[in-house]
Amino acid sequence: MTAGEAPSGSAADDAYPEPCPGSYPQPHPEPHTEPVRPASAVRPFLLTAGRVAGGESLVPPIPVETQVVATSGGIAALDTFAFEHRDIVAVCQEPLSLAEIAAKLRMHLNVIRVLADDLRVDGRLTLHLPQGNPARDASVLRRVIDGLRAVPDSRGARRDY
Amino acid sequence: MARLPDDVPARPPLPVKMVIAGGFGVGKTTTVASISEIAPLTTEASITSVAAGVDDLTHTPQKTTTTVALDFGCVTLDPTLKLYLFGTPGQERFGFMWDDLVEGALGGLVIVDTRRLDDCYAAVDYFEHRDIPFAVAVNAFDGQVEHDLGDVRWALDVRDNVPLTVFDARERGSVRDALLVVLEHALARAGG
Ligand SMILES: Nc1nc2c(ncn2[C@@H]2O[C@H](COP(=O)(O)OP(=O)(O)OP(=O)(O)O)[C@@H](O)[C@H]2O)c(=O)[nH]1
Ligand SMILES: [Mg+2]
Repeated sequence: MTAGEAPSGSAADDAYPEPCPGSYPQPHPEPHTEPVRPASAVRPFLLTAGRVAGGESLVPPIPVETQVVATSGGIAALDTFAFEHRDIVAVCQEPLSLAEIAAKLRMHLNVIRVLADDLRVDGRLTLHLPQGNPARDASVLRRVIDGLRAVPDSRGARRDY
Repeated sequence: MARLPDDVPARPPLPVKMVIAGGFGVGKTTTVASISEIAPLTTEASITSVAAGVDDLTHTPQKTTTTVALDFGCVTLDPTLKLYLFGTPGQERFGFMWDDLVEGALGGLVIVDTRRLDDCYAAVDYFEHRDIPFAVAVNAFDGQVEHDLGDVRWALDVRDNVPLTVFDARERGSVRDALLVVLEHALARAGG
């Protein structure tokens, strides 16, 4: 953490208790703690039944910074999902961007786009799409500038002036 | 323990993003790594590239979809605001189309290595064409910049209002300041 460290015990931390091991069927012998596993052996677009987000699609792709959060229903149903769906819901117990999900799960961004949208339709995830154009919003730009100035350099000095 | 009511997911921060572009080996990954609070991640993403030349018979640009590795990092600026950084490879053979990535970006930082200036033309052209605020940052490999900045500006032929700066991709404070140059430029354009 370099800046803006959230106070410990934030609402996000408390919102979702750790799944209780006894309460779910455990179809996989290995505990589900490894955050990164080898890339899926399945060709990516088989997972999405050939659907592709972005690329040649006419639908504008979901922005990469879109924030994705699991719903409580999604978390409750975690162990009923197939691997990829479960992994996505599991990592989204705290808000994550689409890009982060893809990177953490080592899956193609466009596959994540399709699967996350499916999970949204099923009520398992909430997708918060960016609103408006922050690039043209002076108040957002000022907040980013102020936030970044407070980031210390490697010797701890801030850019305050 | 405080519990949020069911079905009220944790409120996500406002996400904003900036794009780090430049030619092969100029220090994009290093730049993202220097400032990101997480180890930089690599994401596979598709880009639609339009070949620089056009098909002689049909005069339609040749479109190809390429899978590229995208560097990705983030800085939590405060609990309600998170800056994402995307490092994108520049392929000189293609006029690249990062539309999907760049849509809504606050701005771009084009990294150049003065020993290979022409590697960054594609990125400069792209940001100019898309009218995205950007700055050019010369990565001072080993503190050396082989040309003076006036020569770099002349060689790149960027507009006078495009900021040009020298930075060290390995230094967090230096990366921060280069990003601030982009943001101040974006703010001036946004009428701030
Ligand atoms: N001495 C020195 N080395 C640097 C600097 N910036 C980057 N490097 C090194 O240059 C090499 C390329 O840097 P990267 O950050 O991987 O460049 P990149 O633009 O991500 O490269 P590609 O993704 O391959 O296009 C790495 O070995 C870095 O360690 C610098 O400021 N000084
Ligand atoms: Mg790289």
